Amino acid sequence: MASSDKLPLDGVKIADFSWVWVGPTSTKYLADHGATVVRVESLSRPDILYSLGPFKDREAGPTRTHAFSDFNTSKLGLTLNLKTPEATEIAKRLISWADVYVESFTPGTMAGLGIDYEVARKVNPSIIMVSTCLMGQSGPASAFAGYGFHAGAVAGFYDITGWPDLAPDGPWVAYTDVVTPRILSAIIMAAVDHKRRTGQGQYIDASQLEMGLQFLAPQILDYTANDHLTTRNGNRSNFAAPQGAYSCAGDDQWCAIAVESDEEWAGLVKVLGNPGLATDGRFATNSGRLQNHDEIDAQISQWTAAKTPQEVMRLCQAEGVPAGVVQRSSDLFEDPQLAHRRMFPQLDDPQVGPVPHTGHLFDIRGYDHGPRSPSPLIGQHNEQILKEFLGMTDDEITEAVIAGALE
Amino acid sequence: MLSPYTVLDLTDEKGELASMVLGDLGADVIKVEPPGGSPSRAMGPYLEHAPEAERSLQYFAFNRNKRSVTLDLETETGRTALFSLVEKADFIIESAQAGAMAGKGLGFEAMRQANPRIVYVAITPFGQDGPHANFPASDLTVAAMGGPMSLQGVPDRAPVRLSLPQAWLHASVEASVGALTAHALMLRTNQAQFVDVSAQTAMIWTMMQGMSAHSVQGRDFNRSGNTIQLGTVNLRLVHECADGYVVIFPIGGALFKLVEWCVQDGIIPEDWLTAEDWPMYHFKVLQQQPVAHTIDEVLETVSAYVRDKTKNQLLEHGLAEGVSMAPVSNMEDLTRFRHLEERGYWLTAPLPNGSEAQVPGIFANLTGTPLSVRRWPPKLGEHTDEVLGDLLGLSSSQIADASGHGPG
Repeated sequence: MASSDKLPLDGVKIADFSWVWVGPTSTKYLADHGATVVRVESLSRPDILYSLGPFKDREAGPTRTHAFSDFNTSKLGLTLNLKTPEATEIAKRLISWADVYVESFTPGTMAGLGIDYEVARKVNPSIIMVSTCLMGQSGPASAFAGYGFHAGAVAGFYDITGWPDLAPDGPWVAYTDVVTPRILSAIIMAAVDHKRRTGQGQYIDASQLEMGLQFLAPQILDYTANDHLTTRNGNRSNFAAPQGAYSCAGDDQWCAIAVESDEEWAGLVKVLGNPGLATDGRFATNSGRLQNHDEIDAQISQWTAAKTPQEVMRLCQAEGVPAGVVQRSSDLFEDPQLAHRRMFPQLDDPQVGPVPHTGHLFDIRGYDHGPRSPSPLIGQHNEQILKEFLGMTDDEITEAVIAGALE
Repeated sequence: MLSPYTVLDLTDEKGELASMVLGDLGADVIKVEPPGGSPSRAMGPYLEHAPEAERSLQYFAFNRNKRSVTLDLETETGRTALFSLVEKADFIIESAQAGAMAGKGLGFEAMRQANPRIVYVAITPFGQDGPHANFPASDLTVAAMGGPMSLQGVPDRAPVRLSLPQAWLHASVEASVGALTAHALMLRTNQAQFVDVSAQTAMIWTMMQGMSAHSVQGRDFNRSGNTIQLGTVNLRLVHECADGYVVIFPIGGALFKLVEWCVQDGIIPEDWLTAEDWPMYHFKVLQQQPVAHTIDEVLETVSAYVRDKTKNQLLEHGLAEGVSMAPVSNMEDLTRFRHLEERGYWLTAPLPNGSEAQVPGIFANLTGTPLSVRRWPPKLGEHTDEVLGDLLGLSSSQIADASGHGPG
């Protein structure tokens, strides 16, 4: 691990009042790369991720869920019950301490708790405050509370996932939750850099729907400029053929193959070992292949049926044809490329012991980074934060405990 | 926010969103294209479905806030011009095959000689090195190798990707975070930085709690149609309504309201109201405790409730009552979603054929440094003279040589 004076974001201070996915995964980047992130929680309103799996050894329990621990690494834990006035005062001190204040509740919640942007900038004029929610802080649907499933549906990601003859399948995950954190993290880093140079803070209203829509921009344009609606189409491409996931030997094993050019088609014909395909004029051009997709799929499926997906991938790759095994979580842990990138470092979780965590998705050469510590237990760092960061005395802390502020 | 910085964008469709994020955040982005243009200019969908020059909507979607310069990097003058730009730049982003830029003498080592504080970001399907580094890839195969496909689709058919390409977009936004992280490290170390972005790992992240499932719980999650898998339970999320589908996540207080409405509609008898502590019902189901009505019964009831109502009725009624019922929109529904209009989200873009169209707006609303679209996507080489002439001070004949375009 790199020495702490070389961590990119060392010295950046973040008061993280967010919960569930988007806020915590956005601040995880900053925490893993050196920022001091105080994750504020309350026993009176536990993070919903505590009840979501996967649970260690399939034994349910709030501290056994990887959903929480994987996405809150390198952070410090503080408990505050913001329904008590004493906790509100501590929250203000935390905001004064911080460079960035993040929250992800339904619009109006922080105002109700007495720590909205107006209050935050009074106690800390250069604070960067980030509010992220599904729909944004204003507009007729701003009160729409929910998850990335909902925003994903409104954005159009459900309509474009699945088979044309079946109901929309939708992405497996709450999709806007995986699009927005990286955009939001980049925005926060840019705002921090701006503050470093100018001293200026600001308020950021980040709608998860609006960030998510960027991933549909070409198809939105196809509709607004061309009046053309795109919808779900299994694995087929609108522009190149053949493309699909093909059934292989074994239990529910699949390999994806995608031909995007005449050269790749020639490679696939060679792999399939069927010279008839090469001479059949219907398959000679991309548009011909798009028209005769079913027939080509039948030929490919016949060939893949008796081979493992790894064999199919190897044989196609050898001829320059893009092919990839449809990997499950278990396959990811066997993937030599991911092992090479040290994708799943083990962290010793205080509750469940050593568990692989998700490492960084980009590598900075020569900087041996990764999650620095496991996710905090609820309130694990209360004393350190209250005393060292906020300068509270033992008496003040005792009063806060008696008032129920630290629950 | 990033206005002091200059970004050189040498990417194709695999990285154009990365530099657009930095451009939207204020950076001066110079898109360096080969004389024939970025390969993304030859990718559909096309304006009026005409696969012609300056008609790619794929290109138009991800190249705002950039200037376009053509440079022929096969020629010495083109390469010299690139190095002159590198001296003035803070970031380089490229998405060529692993090692391809280095093979041309344009890799990180060469660039850091020209500029010892450069942040060099490389986006590839699998990363710069390792056993799969040179695998040919496409959006579909990266979605397969990255894992999310294994979770999507109905069990009796093949696993599916999202039908529209997403892998390069995930890699691109990951790259924008990598770029800014490495920039912060450069400020600390005063040394050039190299960022290696893998689209496969960017896709793994999109499995969320699914990615480590096997190592944590001892088994994989598998595709199960349009459901959410909570512990041992599958909850169906998509329900058919009068004019399409809605997504409902029936847990907590929302489930209690739904049960009330079903009673009011006569779908279920009144004794349902007191049969369960509905706000806690999903916890009992998760912990496999006995319940008065099975989760399947409950979901059937929710389905019966929405069946004769429209998406909009459900959305509006739910909004008023705090129950989120999300319409499954197509692009038409989306562009008519009143909320986005009232927030002023959409922008009107001038298209290359002289018409205009509604396009996605800025990423977020910032009070101190508002984001904006300062430039619409450039025509190929639109800013060659401006950048090479004004910024680098090249003469018109030098510009013609460097850009590979004859006297400009």
